Amino acid sequence: MQEPVVRFEHISMQFPGVLANDDVSLEVRKGEIFALVGENGAGKSTLMNVLYGIHTPTGGSLTIKGKKMQHFSPKNAIDLGVGMVHQHFMLVPSFTVAENIVLSREPRRGGLLYDRKAARQKTEALSREYGLKVDPDAVVREIGVGLQQRVEILKTLYRGADILILDEPTAVLTPQETEELFDILRRMVREKGMTVILITHKLGEVVSVSDRVGVMRQGRLVSLEETKNVTERSLAAKMVGRNVLHDPFLKESQAGEVRIRAEKLSVLDNRGLPAVKELSLEVRAGEVVGIAAVEGNGQSELIEAITGMRPMSGGNVEICGTSIRGMSPGRIRRLGLAHVPEDRLSTGVNPQGTISENLIMGKHRSREFTRLGFHVNKGALERYVGKIFSRFDVRAAGLDTTVGSLSGGNVQKVVIAREFSFDTPVLVISQPTRGVDIGAIEFIHQHIMDKRAQGCAILLCSADLDEVFRLSDRIVTMYEGRITGSFPAEKITKEEIGYYMTGARSEEGTSHG
Amino acid sequence: MAEKKRRMDWGYLGSLALSVCLALLVGAVIMWAAGYNPGKAYGELLRGATGCSSVGEFFTSVFTKRQFGNTLEYTMVLCMTGLACALGARVGIFNVGGEGQLYLGAIVSAYIGVLLSGCSAWLVIPAAALGAMAVGGFYAWVPGVLKVKLKVNEVITTIMLNSIAIYFCAYLSTGPWKTTQTNRVSGTETLAANLQFTRLIKGSSLTTAILAAAVVALLVWYVMSKTTTGYEMKMTGQNRRFAFFSGLKVDTITIAAMTVSGAMCGLVGMFEVYGLKGSYQDGISNEFYFDGLLVAMIMRYNPVGIIGMSILFAVLRIGASGMELNAGVPGELYRIIQSVIIFFMAAESGISAAVGARRARRKASREAKARLEECSRG
Repeated sequence: MQEPVVRFEHISMQFPGVLANDDVSLEVRKGEIFALVGENGAGKSTLMNVLYGIHTPTGGSLTIKGKKMQHFSPKNAIDLGVGMVHQHFMLVPSFTVAENIVLSREPRRGGLLYDRKAARQKTEALSREYGLKVDPDAVVREIGVGLQQRVEILKTLYRGADILILDEPTAVLTPQETEELFDILRRMVREKGMTVILITHKLGEVVSVSDRVGVMRQGRLVSLEETKNVTERSLAAKMVGRNVLHDPFLKESQAGEVRIRAEKLSVLDNRGLPAVKELSLEVRAGEVVGIAAVEGNGQSELIEAITGMRPMSGGNVEICGTSIRGMSPGRIRRLGLAHVPEDRLSTGVNPQGTISENLIMGKHRSREFTRLGFHVNKGALERYVGKIFSRFDVRAAGLDTTVGSLSGGNVQKVVIAREFSFDTPVLVISQPTRGVDIGAIEFIHQHIMDKRAQGCAILLCSADLDEVFRLSDRIVTMYEGRITGSFPAEKITKEEIGYYMTGARSEEGTSHG
Repeated sequence: MAEKKRRMDWGYLGSLALSVCLALLVGAVIMWAAGYNPGKAYGELLRGATGCSSVGEFFTSVFTKRQFGNTLEYTMVLCMTGLACALGARVGIFNVGGEGQLYLGAIVSAYIGVLLSGCSAWLVIPAAALGAMAVGGFYAWVPGVLKVKLKVNEVITTIMLNSIAIYFCAYLSTGPWKTTQTNRVSGTETLAANLQFTRLIKGSSLTTAILAAAVVALLVWYVMSKTTTGYEMKMTGQNRRFAFFSGLKVDTITIAAMTVSGAMCGLVGMFEVYGLKGSYQDGISNEFYFDGLLVAMIMRYNPVGIIGMSILFAVLRIGASGMELNAGVPGELYRIIQSVIIFFMAAESGISAAVGARRARRKASREAKARLEECSRG
């Protein structure tokens, strides 16, 4: 029971600009259900992709069943008995269940021809052995997602897996199907001695099904405990809270006139479903309003609507008293708004461009940096860019360095340097420090507080509750596209906020102004 | 971090030179295998392109040679069409419809010349140039708008618009706009001599059009690399979402670049009519735009590179006929060499990407180790 079947030792995974796994050491024991939890982007999927051989770690080593991995490839992992069920199923919809299960290792007749009968028999045998009921002749397209997931599990079992990784397995399941799945998993572990690793962010499931639980945050494993010693609440705190390294800022209220006003704002998400529902919100000069919400509750769409990146489907938003309905981001910027976007590499910068090109964007047409209104005045431009480059302490070889080759923290400094140097009366900041190293965090926080002191109206959105608490005058909780509460930051605790963020409580009917 | 400076890409130029040499070598092997003398053939190729048989002759009298004039003329065509392609590519839209834009520009300018025959050249030439640019620009504007507003893939629309334009021109030149000369089955009326561009080298196709082309090329280079407009185009092409987020009018920029690209192609058509042919004729462009597009792609849409590569391709294409005539080697060899260069350059991006990725992985791994050591010490 105590024998480690998988051992991660000091695993690091560096992607360009992102350190996805940071010195993770972890042992998974034979015959346990191990749950790995963490927010999106915490690095849990990356770690499992290392185990499954999709990524070769940039540091550390991985031992599976006593064998140290040299070459990372899914084939090697499968040979050692690792099986992975991805969040998005990888099945051929037009094939039958049996065909999908034996795919790539089909039983053959005479070494050449596909043996349909043998495939069926093998499927039925596996299905009986593990208690995973499926109809081998059903076409995958026509069966429900719960069954498709079973097919995925059977597929890994057919390939001889006894270490099963399930990535967000319950995201698509109904509560009943979830219960069934958990029964199957428990039985597989108890009767077959298999090992199950569960990636999830649903904490209730973790507590009910797992033996041990590891919490990941910002690429690091921050907690590893027996499930019986944890509660949903304690897990949640570990998931979202960073150890408070910094002192809170001393803040004196100095709120002035309303600069952002959203009234009954509705916004659709990419699938055309309502993401923000008749939401009203005000942000005043000299205050920071922090949005606290679990990812996917409409906060991204809200920010995008306010900054013009996404059309509104209803209601209205005013920036400094002017309605922005139908305006492009460029026109909204001219009203006095600057924006630090959530996804910095795809939106906040041009990774192929140099630091200069990225820092000058938005000011490139100003008279200071041009001659005759069109010729780029390279000298003046470089002097200016050099100045903000050093003021914001961007660490790079020079202004000609392409932004895509910088670390996450430095990319973010480029974005913040540019957006803050517009000196706008309104700032909308999304995930200012996601994936940013501790040193840069302090620096960025200080700049945000300086902006507040200068009387800027700041709307802040962050997945990091500590950050929201540290910077905000007022905290607004969002759940399923609606505001569930609005509190002065010093009058509420993180635990209480949690209830509002998960919709367990709500201040229905209050004005959120 | 793996910081990358963006300067002159010597590595790329090096592999380009290597590709060209290898392609010539492949061509030589093919000729040798087919029983020709590669040395003689390449000599004839150079002679066919420059009209000179020796280095000495090249320095003394190359500017009087008919062949050299033809090579320069074709360089101009490649340069213009290549830059037109690069303009679109810079903002992230791929104009494959240059051929059609060129045909329309040619026939409209020819017809303007016919309508205004008798007027001063100072009136007719600008009017014809403007007309050619307007019709070429419009013909690119349509797919540009479709792409931006309705997300219709511009590669498909521009390719299909090519055929429409070419056949429409064929209809005009055999129907309503057909010349009254009875000995010609198609084509417009021949332009008055005072309207045609002056030949710079007697007997060659080189005309004063090359001066106009040089001005246009210079202008395109200047706008693309020295102005705020060029900067906005580049940002739009490299990260459209970032450009939109930063307040650029990305749709307008895209459509404008596409329109100018089409206008340039139309202008090339006008140059062909007023320079080379003296009237609109079917087959006035022999896939000129596609040659230019290849040049632009090989040079990764770099304006200066396009000018350089145009010379090489023009030498190959014009020289090929001399090679055929005097060494007996089929001129199609030029196509083989061209394809091999493209083949090697395509492989080059793959190979250097693989090398780069490997280097980045090693570096990241070193850094991760250093970091771990630092952590264990601290």
